[in-house]
Amino acid sequence: MKLQRTLAFTQRALAQFRHDRRTLAFILLMPLLMILIFGYTFGGDVQNVTVNLVNNDEGIPPTGLDTAPFPMGLHLGELVIDTFDNDTLILYTLEEPELAKQEVDKGKVWAAIIFPENFTETFRSYMLFTDLSARPIVEVYLDGSNPTIAGAVLKTVQQAIQTVLSDLAIQLNQTQVDIPIQLSASYAYGGGDIRFIDYFAPGVICFAIMMVTIMITIILFVNERRNGTLQRLLVSPASEADIVIGYALAFSVIGIFQSIVVLLAAILLFGITIVGNVLLALLVVLLLAFGHQGLGILLSAGARNELQAIQFIPLILFPSILLAGLFWPIESIPSYLQPLSYLIPLRYGIDAERSIMLRGWGIGEIWIDIVILIVFSLLTLGGSILLLKRRK
Amino acid sequence: MVDSNLQKHVRCPSCQTVLTSTGSPGEVVIVTCPSCGTRGKVTFPLQPVFEYKPVIQTHQLTKRFGSFTAVDNLSFTVRQGEIYGLIGPNGSGKTTIIKMLCRLLRPSSGNATILGQPFSNKPVMTEIGYMPQETALYVDNTVHENLMLFGRIYCMSKEQLIPREQEMLRFVNLEEWRDTLVSTLSGGMKHRVSLACALLHEPRLLFLDEPTVGVDPELRATFWGYFERITKQGVTVLITTHYLDEADRCSRVGLLRQGHLIAEGSPQQLKAETGTTSLEQAFCKLAGRTMV
Repeated sequence: MKLQRTLAFTQRALAQFRHDRRTLAFILLMPLLMILIFGYTFGGDVQNVTVNLVNNDEGIPPTGLDTAPFPMGLHLGELVIDTFDNDTLILYTLEEPELAKQEVDKGKVWAAIIFPENFTETFRSYMLFTDLSARPIVEVYLDGSNPTIAGAVLKTVQQAIQTVLSDLAIQLNQTQVDIPIQLSASYAYGGGDIRFIDYFAPGVICFAIMMVTIMITIILFVNERRNGTLQRLLVSPASEADIVIGYALAFSVIGIFQSIVVLLAAILLFGITIVGNVLLALLVVLLLAFGHQGLGILLSAGARNELQAIQFIPLILFPSILLAGLFWPIESIPSYLQPLSYLIPLRYGIDAERSIMLRGWGIGEIWIDIVILIVFSLLTLGGSILLLKRRK
Repeated sequence: MVDSNLQKHVRCPSCQTVLTSTGSPGEVVIVTCPSCGTRGKVTFPLQPVFEYKPVIQTHQLTKRFGSFTAVDNLSFTVRQGEIYGLIGPNGSGKTTIIKMLCRLLRPSSGNATILGQPFSNKPVMTEIGYMPQETALYVDNTVHENLMLFGRIYCMSKEQLIPREQEMLRFVNLEEWRDTLVSTLSGGMKHRVSLACALLHEPRLLFLDEPTVGVDPELRATFWGYFERITKQGVTVLITTHYLDEADRCSRVGLLRQGHLIAEGSPQQLKAETGTTSLEQAFCKLAGRTMV
């Protein structure tokens, strides 16, 4: 291997993209388009979700026999409902819990929120430690078909409860109120403030580099074989490693530019903050590029022409989109499909990228992902070199 | 000539047979061609330029694809400075031979020596120029970028590469097309760029697989003039062609038929042997003779 030769291949490939403006635009704008479309369709906060509300809470009237510790009386259900985010939910008030739920079943509304008769009373008993056996319960009956919407409903309810409780804590001069109110349906999904776009952006970066690298490599190498250029290279002092690594460097350059475009779009358009190390995030992108370039070269050997080459792309693309945790957490796919996701290298890339960008994790936490991606790259690139060395 | 210490291989000017003559440096020897009787002078230079030593030697080279035998027990030798033409109909094994000699195909049996090195020796590659039958260019790059790639693969420095590129572009008459995308060039032009890529690094041994297809007659003449010039400097050319007028300009030709070498010799020799006046007639006669 000689650096001058390797770089000759890199330069040649980059020059090709410079001449081919449309492909260049595809490489740089495709991920941008993806993040825009998905960002705007899923990314913004969920709004105007129709919800049935049943408030049977009888509360504690100020004229009651025992009002302590709320001498002025308390209608906790009402308080929570008043605090609901009006942008997110459109409330339809009903009286019959069963009817409210039936409408969810029929798909007329997304959820039913039900406050039972003894809601405030249970809360009071709990606060006074007179009865710890039961916590006050808000029942939320959800249409789970759209996890984003379901999550938004739960979040709204949770936030309202939290706001009301901290207000009450101030009233009662308590510094700390543990949340005694229980949501009967709880999704640990979305975890706090993370919006879908935050969740999605690291995935788009990984997915874009995978798609571009694998598509372009397959086509490039099918052409190399068909045009006879590969044969000419093989009858030269250049080694197979020169060719493969030369291309890998070209794809690194492409991957870096692509990631910068996506990151800028994510930061400027969607206000995403990258918590972790950007260089580490780029390393993940490069490893994904290397591995998928190798995979592309290997697959190109199984295709006689461009038409056959293109047929590989959905085969790779759909499992990656659906099983690698690009849109949905891997935990939300059926459990019998989950083991398959371990076979998809993109999974580790997305996992690592998300941990770096959202959680601010460093190499110490994501080293397993990195190691797996390195092994994947070594296997596919090494395999490609052996493949090119093979002679009939 | 007891105290002669030089050996020189010369080509007979009339029948192209290679003769071996011995003499001392600076001596002039009269030799007689054994096949046609022509007499000529051989001048032994004070410093020999190059010798007609074997550059390609194959020994029972065979290539089978499944049950089909593309090249069958081929043994032939090409000497330095020769233009050796492989002539034969489609599917006679010409390209397969070149691909085996270029290490693109693994022989089923037999072996070959190239530039004195065993077949499997990779360093030989720097000395070889190969022009495949396909265009074998990066069509989405410019002519210049293609030449640069192939130059740099051979580790040519910029100082070597730039003037050499100029020279090659002038030779293939494409100077003003330097910065044009190859995809926009005509078929013949692509062929010329491809030849320039093969010649760029001044190889000692050239494999040219139908280099003149789609090239106009004037330029074909230029190409052949160039081949003859570089062979005089010691470059060896193995060429395949369909054009029998081109075969006539080879030092020697090998006639191939269904993977067999059915005849070999200088064009004059083959014509003389068959008693014909053109290589075309000679070829038909030889092909007919070996048909069973």
